[in-house]
Amino acid sequence: MEFFVAQALNGLIIGLLYALIAIGLSLIFSVLKLVNFAHGECYMMGAFVSYYLSTLFGINPILSVFLSMVVVFLIGVTIQYLFLRPIYTGAVERKDEYAILITFGLGIFFQNLANSVFGPWTKKSPDFISGVSAMGSLTVDNNRLIVSAVAIVIMAVLLLVIGKTFIGKALRAVSQDRDAAAIVGINPHRMNLLAFGIGVALAGGAGSLMGPIFLISPMMGILFGIKSFVIIVLGGMGSIKGAIIGSLLLGEIESLGSVFFLDPSRGLAYKNAFGVLLLAIVLLLKPTGLFGERHVRME
Amino acid sequence: MKKGLTVIGLALLVALMGGSLGWTQERIVVGGVAPLTPPGAAESGAEMKIAMEMAVDEIGKLLGKPIKLQVEDTRGLPEEGTAAMNRLADAGAVGVVGEFHSAVAKAEIEVANDRKVPLVISEAWADVITGRQYPYVFRIAPANSLFYTKVANWVKSIGANNVVAIVENTDWGLGIDSVFKAGFAGQKNIKGETISYTSIVAERTVTDFTPQLLTFKAMRPRPDLVMDIFTGTGEYLIVKQAAELGLATTRETAIFPVGTSALYPEYWETVGEYGVFSITKTGYHPLLGVTPAIKEFTTKFEAKTGKTPTFAAMEAYDSIYVLAKAVEMAKSTEPDAVVAALEKIKYNGVLGTIYFSQEREPDYMFHQWPGAKAVIIQYTEKGQKYTDAQLLWPALLKP
Repeated sequence: MEFFVAQALNGLIIGLLYALIAIGLSLIFSVLKLVNFAHGECYMMGAFVSYYLSTLFGINPILSVFLSMVVVFLIGVTIQYLFLRPIYTGAVERKDEYAILITFGLGIFFQNLANSVFGPWTKKSPDFISGVSAMGSLTVDNNRLIVSAVAIVIMAVLLLVIGKTFIGKALRAVSQDRDAAAIVGINPHRMNLLAFGIGVALAGGAGSLMGPIFLISPMMGILFGIKSFVIIVLGGMGSIKGAIIGSLLLGEIESLGSVFFLDPSRGLAYKNAFGVLLLAIVLLLKPTGLFGERHVRME
Repeated sequence: MKKGLTVIGLALLVALMGGSLGWTQERIVVGGVAPLTPPGAAESGAEMKIAMEMAVDEIGKLLGKPIKLQVEDTRGLPEEGTAAMNRLADAGAVGVVGEFHSAVAKAEIEVANDRKVPLVISEAWADVITGRQYPYVFRIAPANSLFYTKVANWVKSIGANNVVAIVENTDWGLGIDSVFKAGFAGQKNIKGETISYTSIVAERTVTDFTPQLLTFKAMRPRPDLVMDIFTGTGEYLIVKQAAELGLATTRETAIFPVGTSALYPEYWETVGEYGVFSITKTGYHPLLGVTPAIKEFTTKFEAKTGKTPTFAAMEAYDSIYVLAKAVEMAKSTEPDAVVAALEKIKYNGVLGTIYFSQEREPDYMFHQWPGAKAVIIQYTEKGQKYTDAQLLWPALLKP
């Protein structure tokens, strides 16, 4: 039982970490109706910004997480304005294809840029709090506990903003119907800018939070980018609630699946496949994902 | 004015053409392959490239012609290795040296064999690399079986009876796992206890090893030794996460990261104090004796980079010299002549007198340098250089 609890707790922590990355992608999709294939690289940029803020300027690691979110927000806003805005102004003929190609291209560009600027070597961001905490017979890395708590706070704030504030209502309105939102005075272009900026800032925040746990390197975002895509399809494209539940499910299935797999010696070799298997099963039973809606195309 | 510009333009054209013709006609191309960017082990690739450049600068000319070193980045990916070897063959390389990742080397030997390009593998250990017995393939690094059979014997000698491992699913990782499975099967340690060996295979991209490490922690009796059979980030993460969970290094359980990544300063940057008392392996350690050749190479390397070279750099440096000597012995760049010379070579390098076995049993001994060494060391202080680490098993040097 204790072993099961330890595994489940690990799955929960990992799930919370995944959620932070995935909700950003989900927010972007819900408003802009495009998948940001450079999301993993925004995660990576956040990690590097935070690393250098802490190591070069001696800024407190927790503070550097929020500063890195601001930096990645500004990068995201710039990207959206320069490269994605044309999709919504009618300047691009094949919108879906353009969005895929431009975000993929930016992802590759940022990987190579990071490789040249920061070097290919693995780095570790400073600990938030070093050491471990004992929970009965279980020991958990303090960084993971801090990151889980920060992830819960960030998600709670996001849900509050989206659910209760004017900006949140405006984002939801654009997400549901851009034209109707424009008629009532909401500027959809501004909301696009804001949604993309917040979405990538969340990824950047996740990257900077993960730095002390999973280490940082220019290619660190590739796997997490793929996982967050799996999560938002699993939870339902564009659903923040779905992204959170999908993340927790993925965290648990990876943690428990890899140790209770029929052949435990191969469990870790199939770890990344468990999420895809779960996704396939959910999509077979519910084609729009757990909380997805049918209306998902760009307009 | 116009006439003047035309004259300058023509002069530039002639100079460029002359230069490019001269380049292809007068230089001998020596190829290098190494992982210079992720997901490959870029730390190792970078120092291998520097060592190759040092060797080429020192040698200067081959058969009276200047050498052009062309180093290709293989990124730790087999498809990149294949492409790199083809590019080097197209460039007319007299031979190719290097490589770090066994999976990539496995792809490269196919091109070397098909396109008849002599290939001296510097630092890839999977048995299959020389086990295919391709005439154009030689290796300076030890084969997995040559070294890890001895590690298995060392484990028995320290009285360990419960050994666990997390293994990356590459030719290198699975090769070591096979050697351990064979080495421990039905075997008893020095105390007469039967040895249990449990291994878990993982994707190279995995970042959270906690579930499996918790499984190991729940074992009774606790494992004596955790073998971390990973390279790069995964190797660091296993050490870090095992310590965070209170699994290793503890009074009961030691950890042995076997990849070369544990020899670099990045190891300490990423694992910090968790690396103290970790055990690892190296192909060179000063306690084995610092020959004049090692001293000279190390001094030059440190002056150039400010870093202590590992055996990967020494192997890459020696590989260039071995290939160059073979070309000089052959008095030709013709591949079969170079291969014939490599088969006869005896070169006093940094790591010892290098020659290549002609034995075909066991299969991995063909064109393998039998003298390749590797020893087991243990870090005793945070931030310690591998050259200052405690030597655990010099007995490995015995043939």
